[in-house]
Order: sequence, then C-alpha cells, then structure tokens
Amino acid sequence: MIRLDNFSYWYPGSDRPALQEIDLEIEEGEFVLLTGPSGCGKTTLALALAGFLFSQFNGESSGGVEVFGLDPAVVPIYEIADQVGLVQQNPENQFCTLMVEDEIAFGLENRRVPREEIEIRLAWALEAVGISGLRDRSLRSLSGGEKQKVALAAILAAKPRLIVFDEPTSNLDPPSTHEIFRVILDLQRRGNLTVLVIEQKLDFVNQADSRVIRMSAGRILDQETGQPRTITVERPQIPASPSDPVLEVDDLEVGFPGRTVLDGVDFQLFPGELVSLLGDNGSGKTTLLLTLLKMQEFKRGSIRFQGVSLDKVDSPSLGREIGMVFQNPDHQIFASTVWEEAILGPVNFQLDPDRYENWTRSLLDRAGLGSRLKEHPYRLSFGEKRRLNLISVLSYKPQLLLLDEIFIGQDPQNGEFLMGLLVDHVNEGNAVLLVNHNPAYYPLISTRLMFLKNGKLAVNSPLPEALRELDRMGEGAYLPVEMP
Amino acid sequence: MKRVLGYQPGVSIFHRLHPLLKVAWLVFITAAAFLIHSPAVNILAVLVMLAVFPAVGIRWDDLRGLRVLIFTALLITCLQILFWKEGELAAQLGRIRITDQGLFRGFYLGARFMVVVLISYLFVLTTSPNQLAYAMMRAGLPYRLGFTFVTALRMIPIFEQEALTVYRAGQARGVSYRPRGLRDLWEKLAGFILPMLVSGMSKVDALSISMEGRCFGMHRSRTYFKVREPFSGDLWAGLILLMGIAAVILVKLWEV
Repeated sequence: MIRLDNFSYWYPGSDRPALQEIDLEIEEGEFVLLTGPSGCGKTTLALALAGFLFSQFNGESSGGVEVFGLDPAVVPIYEIADQVGLVQQNPENQFCTLMVEDEIAFGLENRRVPREEIEIRLAWALEAVGISGLRDRSLRSLSGGEKQKVALAAILAAKPRLIVFDEPTSNLDPPSTHEIFRVILDLQRRGNLTVLVIEQKLDFVNQADSRVIRMSAGRILDQETGQPRTITVERPQIPASPSDPVLEVDDLEVGFPGRTVLDGVDFQLFPGELVSLLGDNGSGKTTLLLTLLKMQEFKRGSIRFQGVSLDKVDSPSLGREIGMVFQNPDHQIFASTVWEEAILGPVNFQLDPDRYENWTRSLLDRAGLGSRLKEHPYRLSFGEKRRLNLISVLSYKPQLLLLDEIFIGQDPQNGEFLMGLLVDHVNEGNAVLLVNHNPAYYPLISTRLMFLKNGKLAVNSPLPEALRELDRMGEGAYLPVEMP
Repeated sequence: MKRVLGYQPGVSIFHRLHPLLKVAWLVFITAAAFLIHSPAVNILAVLVMLAVFPAVGIRWDDLRGLRVLIFTALLITCLQILFWKEGELAAQLGRIRITDQGLFRGFYLGARFMVVVLISYLFVLTTSPNQLAYAMMRAGLPYRLGFTFVTALRMIPIFEQEALTVYRAGQARGVSYRPRGLRDLWEKLAGFILPMLVSGMSKVDALSISMEGRCFGMHRSRTYFKVREPFSGDLWAGLILLMGIAAVILVKLWEV
C-alpha cells in the first residue's frame, strides 16, 4: 500500500507549496495515471514516492508519506530504491553506461548481486520488455522508443514493487508511444506490479484499465472538478484566392555518410497554410527543417523561397524571412531578460523599433508575460519558456515559420495558447510548417498533412484525406481518437 | 558533423587484446622509441605499424589528422638535417653544411615522432574506451572514479550535438558569431554558454537521480557482470612484451 496523508511540500526558498494537503492511497497492483498542467506538482509527487524529494532537496514538508511500510523521508534512499523505481522523461539523460547490457546490469552490480544472478535477471528484464535482440547493442545506436524500453528494463531488473513513470513518452512518436504503454500495461498485469504514470497524452492509454488522478496547483482534484480540459481553437481561414508558393522543394535528397535521410522529397507551401509534418523518430523531419534554413547541405534537388533559389539568398536575409523554433526551450534563450529575449531577432535583423515593439509587447501581454519583462527567461516555467520561444520568433513576423516539436511536454492549456498564435500568424498570410507527434493537436489546426516514411514523402494531402491515407497505410497510431 | 578520431569496432587480434595489455604495449613502444637511439629500428617500427593498420581492418580514411602529423615528422627531419652543425661533413648544399650527426638526428627524431603517433592511433582505433574503463575498474581503480570517465564518454557526444543546436538556434535569430571587440566576444560567449550550462545542470540532476535510484555508491565495491575470458592472443602478446622489455634492457646495458 502507498499512502500520502495530508502531505505538503515546499522547495527551498519558495513560500508557495509545490504539493498541498495531498491525500492519496494506491493499492498494490494498481495502474494509476496522474495528469495535470505543467508545474502542478506531478513530478514532485513522483520524487516524494521515490524518496529523492528528501535525499536531494532540503525543502520543508508536513504530513506523511508511506511506501510499502517505509517512510521515504526517513529511510536511506537505497532501501526505497529496492521498492520503487523511477523512469524519467528522457532516457538519454538517465543512462549511466554505454551498452545495453551494462545499463541493465548497472543497478544490480551496485547492489553487489552475484554475476550468475545478474545474468538471470538481465535475461528476464530484456525478455519482459521485449528487447532481447538489443542485448549487445550500444545505447547510441538505439531509437527513442528502444532507449525508453532499455531504461524501463534497467529499473525492472531490480524487481521493484512500484514503478513511477514521469512522462515516459513525451519524446516519442505515436507508434513508439503505443508500444511503451502496451509494455507497461502488460508488465503490470503479468507481474502484479504497481504502476504510476505521469502523462499528458491520455489518448494513448485505455483509461478503462487505469485510475486517472488529476492535479492542479499542487492539489489533487476531485472527480467532478477534475474533468479533462477540452481544447478549443479556431481553424486557419483558407485563403480565398490562390497565390504563388512561398516555398518550393523539388526532388530533394539529403544524407549523411553512409545514410540517405531524405530521398526525392517534393512539396510546396502557400501563404495562409499550416502544414503538419509527421513521421517516426529519425525519419528526417528535423533534417528537412534545417535544410530549408540552409543549416544542412543537400546532395540533389532544389529549394526556392519566394521563387528565388536558396543558394542565391544570404543566410541573414533568409533568417529574417524564415523563423525557426527548436525542440528544447533551453537551447534557444540567449538574452538576460524576457523583453530582450523577445526582441533579440528584430534587433539582430535591424528592424525599425516602431514595427515590432508594440506588437511584441501585445504578444507578451497575451501570453501572461507582460508583467515579467525584466525577469531572466530561465526563471520562467517550462510552458512559459515555450511561449517566449514562439513570441521571440513571431516578433519579426517571418513569412515562413518552421516549428520543431513545440508541443512536447505542454499541457492542453498551453497547447491551446500556442495553437492560437499559430493560427493568427497564418491568417495574416504567412505559412507554418509544424513538426508534431501529438494527434491531439495537429488535426485541430492543420490545413494539410505531410508524412515522411523511409526518406520519402508518403502523404501530402489536405487534412481529412491525409488521415484516411494514413489509416490505409496502417499508420493508425497517428490518427486522432475522434476523426475531424 | 565531422567524424573525429575514435574507436572503430572490429574483430582483429588487436581489437580483442585485453585493454590493459594494450596500455602496457603503448607505454612500452613509446618508451622504447625514446630509449633505442637508432634511426633504423625506429624506421622499421614505422613500416611495421603502417602494415598493421590495413591488417586490422583500419582504412587510411580512419586515420584522421595523419597528414598533418606526417608533415610535422618531415619538418622535424628536414630541420635537423639542414641546421644541425655538429659532426663530420656529409654533403654541402650551397652554404648549408649537412653533417652525419644531422642526418642521424633527423631520421631518428622524425621516425621516433611517427612511432609515437602511429602506436597512439593503433591504440585509440582498436580500444573501446568503455572496455578500458571497466578493465581499469576491475584492476582496482575505484569505481566512482571509473564511472566519471564512463559518464564523460557518454555525455561528450550529447553536449557536442547540443552545442551545434544552440549555435543554429542563435544563427536562426540573426545572432552573428563574428565578435566585434572583446566586450562583444564576451557577450556572445555568455549567450552561447548559458543555454549549455542550463541544459548541463538539468542533465546532472536527472543522472544523479538515475544513479542514486540504482544504488550507485551503496557499497565501497561492486560486482561486475561481464567477465572477459583471456585468449591465446593475450598470452602471446604478454610474452612478446616481456621479451621486448628484456631486449631493451639488454641493449641499454650493452650501451653502458
């Protein structure tokens, strides 16, 4: 039995509790889904159950936590680790070794388990997660989904009674997300394992199999107030008259030594279009965006922006007209205040302040950042940083906006806000190319879908037709729960 | 991204030798090159090693940076031949005297340089850093220290990729990485380093949770699951190494 009894927690230096009066009981063998907006305390709750909240942070707490009869606030972390395993969001950041079998054996070796026993548990964990074939591989050579399975096997090998997953699929494509949830559910059923999954993408889990707990502002919501938020966003208006394409890509081939990533890719983008680019992890989506920005060389084909070949446009002029938001918010913050960050692009491109200052200020107000202009951007929450990332590119109104997975880790409220900004941008006659994995988002705003498979553009059609094509191709994982 | 000099997996005898035995060979060959003052022996060693590379499946293309090092060796050789004044006159090129000692030193120093370079290449290209770290830990290196090395090996390519992403993200928003003066250089550097630092700190948090959650540091020692069975190649390489050491000692005693 896992129990939190009127538990509250304050991080050091914070007068606002991260968790407030939490009362929760989880029975052994239960499958619990924990969801809620970013920053609501889900990860803090996970850290409390796994004991790290008490071993790694010197915060204040009140109330009690009990995990299988142990108090994580008192007993050494090693004792809790025998009962509770924590699988974090990004497997890349939690690997301690370089090879699959070393990674799975790591925890057992640290516990001084004899090697004969390690061999038995290693083989069992690999088989349980369905990755016996990966045993001799290096971690670097694995796909995102395979890495997350290795991270799970590494925790499973220690045979904990509770496994906590902190957004385990946020970086994964839909097929890998389905597969990870299938494995988790299978493990829970076969092994009577207790499972707590923190997740935003609830559409991927059959909620009949689980108990769903919703959190907000450090509290657990009751069933009535805790109903899922529905996203409402207006679709882009389709332009009345056709115009010249803003981007033309013809027979594009891009590759690295020994590997062709994109092969014969053709498409056009028109003003007023919001096109979603889908495809499995590693299918070349980010490579395509970088190629359009002249940050990746191509071997064959041509790219024309506003009718001019890309090799005739210098990089600064191109940057002014083609904006890009990268995947990780922390990789694209360069200034020391929110305001300076928001106007960094216009200043670098030497635009007239009259053209961007009021506009940028209105965007920041709309994002709820208007009163925080002098704060350092790194003081913002994850969702706020993502808003700032997008505003710092919208501030110079690029004609083409390239977005790489900007909805990762975003709660529905923030996702709705970001989508609203994108729709407004295309309604002003600009174009957006959006790389996205989440079927809860792209069907709401896309005018067209493109799907990359084996380096080729397998689908390039208006939304309803594209979804039907994906269905026919057996790519059901990419389809939304409710077809538009 | 440009490929850098690093381990090339393979199944040759050099790949399969015990990593610590390869470290011993690396030290021995380097020391011998300095102790045996013979151009002929060093040139012979260079020729043998050049023949070894294709035999162990390493392509010339894998030897990144070798051209610069060959050029350096030739430069060392030429400078010694042209400007070493001591010794008997061997040839006269206009005003430049070439002496027998100059020729000796030139070929010896150039070949010695190449011996050290080539044995280092052979070691790096055929030794998995991961296996080396584990071998050192099993040989007595404290495992906390050993895993510092393993973690560094894991993180270097990740940070390399992230640095490229930060650079590109800056470029996309018009950040020019050509500094105008020292103050501008500092601002550019700070703007570049801060995202890397923030990203690095979050990785440290995640990694420490992952390590602690799997009982790293629980005991003073740990078990090791992988056992590397010795094979006949280890035995022969060890024996030849001992004979080599004995031969060098004999040569040095002979010289005395």
